[in-house]
Amino acid sequence: MLLEINDLFVRYGKSVMALQGASLEVGEGELVSLIGQNGAGKSTLLKSIVGIAPVYSGSITYDGAAVTDKKFSVIKNRIAYVPEDRGVFSSLTVGENLRLGAVSRRDKGNIDGDIERELARFPILEEYWGRGASLLSGGEQQQLAIARALLLRPKLLLLDEPTLGLAPIIVDLIFDVIEQLRDEGVTILLVEQNAVRSIEVSNRSYVMQAPGKILGSGNANELAANDAVVDYLGFSPTGVKGDSE
Amino acid sequence: MILQIIVDMVGLGATYALLTIGIALLFGILGLMNFAYGEIIMIGAFAMYLFKDYPWFVGAVAAVVFAVVISVLTERLAFRPLRNADPVTLMIASFAVSLALQSVMRMTVLPRTQGVPPQPFLTESMIVFGIRVTVLQIVTLVLCGVLLGGLALLMKKTPLGVQLRASAENFQVAKSLGVKGSFVIMSAFAIAGVMAAASGIILVARQGAVSAEMGLTPLLIGIVGAVVGGMSNLKGAALGGLLLGMGTVLLEATLPTDLIAFRDAFLYSAVMVVLVIRPQGLLSGTKVRTS
Repeated sequence: MLLEINDLFVRYGKSVMALQGASLEVGEGELVSLIGQNGAGKSTLLKSIVGIAPVYSGSITYDGAAVTDKKFSVIKNRIAYVPEDRGVFSSLTVGENLRLGAVSRRDKGNIDGDIERELARFPILEEYWGRGASLLSGGEQQQLAIARALLLRPKLLLLDEPTLGLAPIIVDLIFDVIEQLRDEGVTILLVEQNAVRSIEVSNRSYVMQAPGKILGSGNANELAANDAVVDYLGFSPTGVKGDSE
Repeated sequence: MILQIIVDMVGLGATYALLTIGIALLFGILGLMNFAYGEIIMIGAFAMYLFKDYPWFVGAVAAVVFAVVISVLTERLAFRPLRNADPVTLMIASFAVSLALQSVMRMTVLPRTQGVPPQPFLTESMIVFGIRVTVLQIVTLVLCGVLLGGLALLMKKTPLGVQLRASAENFQVAKSLGVKGSFVIMSAFAIAGVMAAASGIILVARQGAVSAEMGLTPLLIGIVGAVVGGMSNLKGAALGGLLLGMGTVLLEATLPTDLIAFRDAFLYSAVMVVLVIRPQGLLSGTKVRTS
């Protein structure tokens, strides 16, 4: 497994336990989604992987190395993270934002080619290349944030609620891109509230319940066979087109 | 007469803009209100005193070297260990650094005010387009113009500038993208050091003296200018400094003689009005649309 999380506890301050014993695995080339309601602890789990949320106990192993080790570098291990608020720099142009995604790369000669590839994937970014990022809509900013993350040539892409607050047509576009990336072999851990679409595009899904407990995992059929999951989701994923079909 | 006032206004405004940029740059990136900035200015000015018997450019180069080295050292020794501390802790640390630098200078090489005779060529004046300007005014304008223009170019056109702007906006996200936080912060302190050195050089040329306490007034002007313009916005901070300097000269030139003594009262009343109307500063940065 590329990413293994075992019995993870994350505590904010002295009393707020955001994750309680969460365990999760992502294999190389897999698209795994983590679904659950607001406040379940999904974003916290992503933040703990990139070192923003403090790990209280448990382990996170990436490619055999402990992520919690002080010497572990998220960037050197090519883990790209797109935060829930997208993290787009409003004072920079679209082009400057995009180029920042490759700031840590040493193969400078390949960067322009990669930018061309991302501009072909997200044509709106080419159109707005010299425009201030603050002038982009939410959907355009999300495309910029994903394109910027891809410029790291990530071995693992962490997407936190990429469709949150977006119009349905943009949600479709984002999920199309996620499917495209999955087909290209990019390993993705996707945090989403849109359970149906997430299960549909993912190889496997984990269902998380507050405070940070995994209720169940698997493909659509496996999730449908789990009563606790069905009760929590409020629907049976049996009919959802997923990896199982 | 009006042209003369305008030249004086721009001259002082540009000088104040240098002061505000150094303050705003560090605040934007670190959330650090650096009260030691005045002492960095003083260190630059002290170099001018130390090399007062050499050609003026030797003193100027020494001022830049001294100010940059001390500025970077304060980052390395005092602020880096507190990188993740809250802004209040950082602010108190900067007070400590300020007092420490001031005290060390007073105890060692600068126990009392020392005179630095102005370079003779700086006191000469000439008539340009019918107005009398001193060489010092021209040098000030050119120096401020070159530094502010150079900084604008650096911020806009170089990878370091883009990283500085990104870090000033959201340091955590910039770091998560691979921007080297320590390098960016050290660069910001070095740039602030250059700005402080230039301010020190101009102050020495205007005042003809150096003292351990000389950094306080420029520090306060820098903070007020930066707050008026918008603390986290470099363009705003420069604008705030420019307006503060221009306002100072304008009031001095237009107030009746009886009221000139109250110039600062008028000036800072205007500052308060600005802050009541725009508490975030004149240019606070555009908000990101969310839909």
